[in-house]
Amino acid sequence: MVKRLLAAFAFVLLAGAPASAQQQQQQEQQRQPGSDVADDLPAGVAEEQITVSSTYGGSYITVFGVNPDRRGRGDIVVVLRGPNEPATVMRKSRAFGIGNAFGLWVNGDPVRFSEAPAFFAVLSNRPLRDIASPESIWRYQLDPAASAQLASAVPAGGDPSAYRAALVRLRREQGLYQWYATPPREGVRGGLTAYRGGLFRAVVRLPANAPIAQYHADTYLFRDGRLISRQRIPITIARIGVERTIHDLATNVSWLYGIVTVLLALLAGWGSAVLFRRP
Amino acid sequence: MIYLPIAEMPVAVLLILLVSGVVGFVSGLVGVGGGFIMTPALLFLGVPAPVAVATGASQIAATSFSGIMTQTRRKAVDWRMGMLLSVGGIVGSSIGVALFERLLRLGQLDLIVSLLYLLLLSSVGFLMVRESYRFWRGRPAKSVSVLRRPLKTVAHNLPFRMRFPRSGLYISVLPPLGLGFAIGAISAIMGIGGGFIVIPAMIYLLRMPTNVVIGTSQFQVLVISSLIVVLQSIATHTVDLVLALLLMAGGVVGAQIGARVGAGIKAEYVRGILGVLLVAASIKFLFDLVVPPDEIYVLGAGLW
Repeated sequence: MVKRLLAAFAFVLLAGAPASAQQQQQQEQQRQPGSDVADDLPAGVAEEQITVSSTYGGSYITVFGVNPDRRGRGDIVVVLRGPNEPATVMRKSRAFGIGNAFGLWVNGDPVRFSEAPAFFAVLSNRPLRDIASPESIWRYQLDPAASAQLASAVPAGGDPSAYRAALVRLRREQGLYQWYATPPREGVRGGLTAYRGGLFRAVVRLPANAPIAQYHADTYLFRDGRLISRQRIPITIARIGVERTIHDLATNVSWLYGIVTVLLALLAGWGSAVLFRRP
Repeated sequence: MIYLPIAEMPVAVLLILLVSGVVGFVSGLVGVGGGFIMTPALLFLGVPAPVAVATGASQIAATSFSGIMTQTRRKAVDWRMGMLLSVGGIVGSSIGVALFERLLRLGQLDLIVSLLYLLLLSSVGFLMVRESYRFWRGRPAKSVSVLRRPLKTVAHNLPFRMRFPRSGLYISVLPPLGLGFAIGAISAIMGIGGGFIVIPAMIYLLRMPTNVVIGTSQFQVLVISSLIVVLQSIATHTVDLVLALLLMAGGVVGAQIGARVGAGIKAEYVRGILGVLLVAASIKFLFDLVVPPDEIYVLGAGLW
């Protein structure tokens, strides 16, 4: 029963997809002429528009699709990507100390990345390295480290891969980089489930601290370590209502925003003085 | 839970109201502004340092404006002195905000804020504990008014002297300008009003009468904190209006209740307890700076 419902849901979603899929296809072809990777993977997203209001506490994103291979061969990999943004990783070291025994831990040795995904989740139903070759993982950026572009020299004695690994580890701890290699389990709502008949469903937990921006859900079909087909679906996360008004005011007319905040502070101060006036 | 539009994080409304209420209560009880407790409290709640410092300034503006309304009715504000302090403060806080923005980009803001709080909380806490201990032993510190009159300080000898009728002073304008400048710069970086630094300086350095120092310092704090809110909004986009409203609501109510309760308790004992808390908080800051961290890599601000 559940399976049939899912299939019906996926079908409805897919029926609305072709127009954007075609555009996507043209772009892909311009970028990679002669590529033997097809763009015919039928997939859809349950939440193409996520709204952030004052009660926002994160969200779930569900990607549905069907394996186009009639015999259901191959493995599906779903990647949810946030925007690429500059990032800095610093290394703490002791300073102002007496020898090595005592001292303050100070941030130093900054290394800059011109772009690194602000959010990255990769889902598959078995470990990724069993599905795709290391070259494919790097080429199609199925790992956040593959997308992180170093933009500055690493300081003397530093190791570029240690900085890259630190970026991934720190973002992972913040819940911004996620890996799932199993279906959803007890206590973990995220994961990729492959149903019989080629239908699959991937669920990602988008934490509240994930940036509010344009995301993309990329679906890949791998067979024998090679990419066969893929699909890209945009997902918009946007502020609405009061959150949007406040944020727009703060970024576009920041001086006015500052003055409004001060006036509200004066109002609060005046209100309390009047309210609690002593006889 | 409510989602903060600028901090981009959800917070528990009741928790923020409770914390700001308690901070307000303590400030009303002891008679301090409370910025130097509010900012560390926000840091401990996980609010990023830039947002905590910049947003705290708006709460300080609310508290000081409330105080000025009371002090004005008592004619306890030396406007001329307040203007002079504010002129110095405007320059100082502008430089402070520029420094804040630079430190944020360099990834050193948290370190500088922690160090300054370490110094501030430990010294203020120590002074409070000492004062309370002396009172408990029956040897209160010499009253200020006894010390005040006969002495002349550097403020009386420098050039550009000016009359301050409300304070009954004829002193150089340079010390008030310099004092305002220093407090403005410290306020911008630390998210404090600075009243507990300005007030002793006014009494001991400028020899102002004690009945006008509170109102006058509140006037200066209001001007500086309002300016800081606007400058931070423009320079760093770190003022969170929703968080600010929560802090104001909790803070002003807590302060009024604290002031009522404080009227019935010996202030010296309260200060002793607060002093111990401040010393404990400063030890926590020291601990975080000195103990080897589990993770030696940190993410810096993405802006560069």
